[in-house]
Amino acid sequence: MRFILVDRIISLVPGESIVAARAIRPDEDYFRDHFPGFPVVPGVLLTEMMAQAAGKCLDAQRLPRGKAMLARIVSASFRQWVRPGDEALLHAVIVANAERYATADCKVQVGNGVVAQAKLFYSFVPTGQFAPDYRDDVLEDYLAGQAR
Amino acid sequence: MNTHDALTWIAEVFEEPPGQITIETKREQILGWDSLGTLSLIAGLDERFDIHLSEKDIDGMQRVSDILDILRRNGKLEDA
Repeated sequence: MRFILVDRIISLVPGESIVAARAIRPDEDYFRDHFPGFPVVPGVLLTEMMAQAAGKCLDAQRLPRGKAMLARIVSASFRQWVRPGDEALLHAVIVANAERYATADCKVQVGNGVVAQAKLFYSFVPTGQFAPDYRDDVLEDYLAGQAR
Repeated sequence: MNTHDALTWIAEVFEEPPGQITIETKREQILGWDSLGTLSLIAGLDERFDIHLSEKDIDGMQRVSDILDILRRNGKLEDA
């Protein structure tokens, strides 16, 4: 299973805010277990979607501190089921952005409703720690498209 | 903020039960005072008290009394 939980970025202000999207495909592997006859996206995956979106917002600043890594789920709530065929819109606003840490207020929207919310806390890992060919395709492709 | 309130806040930062932390408590006695705990403390001091720690401050924090000293130096702690 790949762990890319953001399909595309819709809008981005580096270090400030992001709106991204993830289509919930009916053939997602976890629906086989979560749950037979009642497939819903696990809350931990909704949280990870928000975390990846907010992380891209921070990474887009390309600061020497490195890549944003989720360090703490300060709070999270899941208000409605997210089902196969839904499109999750991932909103994140960076509320603190310092040298060593950042915090983000995030939400998942499906249709007109907010289905999940989270406050997330990030630390940073120097980019040299990652494989030399590591590339965040979703973020890099979006930024390249903006530069054209 | 008085010392009691400061200790309560420090316990919250390290996710320890209130009353578990005293002025004398050392870093190694607090389970939550690891690298993430330190980061949470840095963030808490910044966001709640507008205190920005230097590298020397961060390296020097080895016991709860060191955190109280930082609060005191920055005018955020009123000793009883």
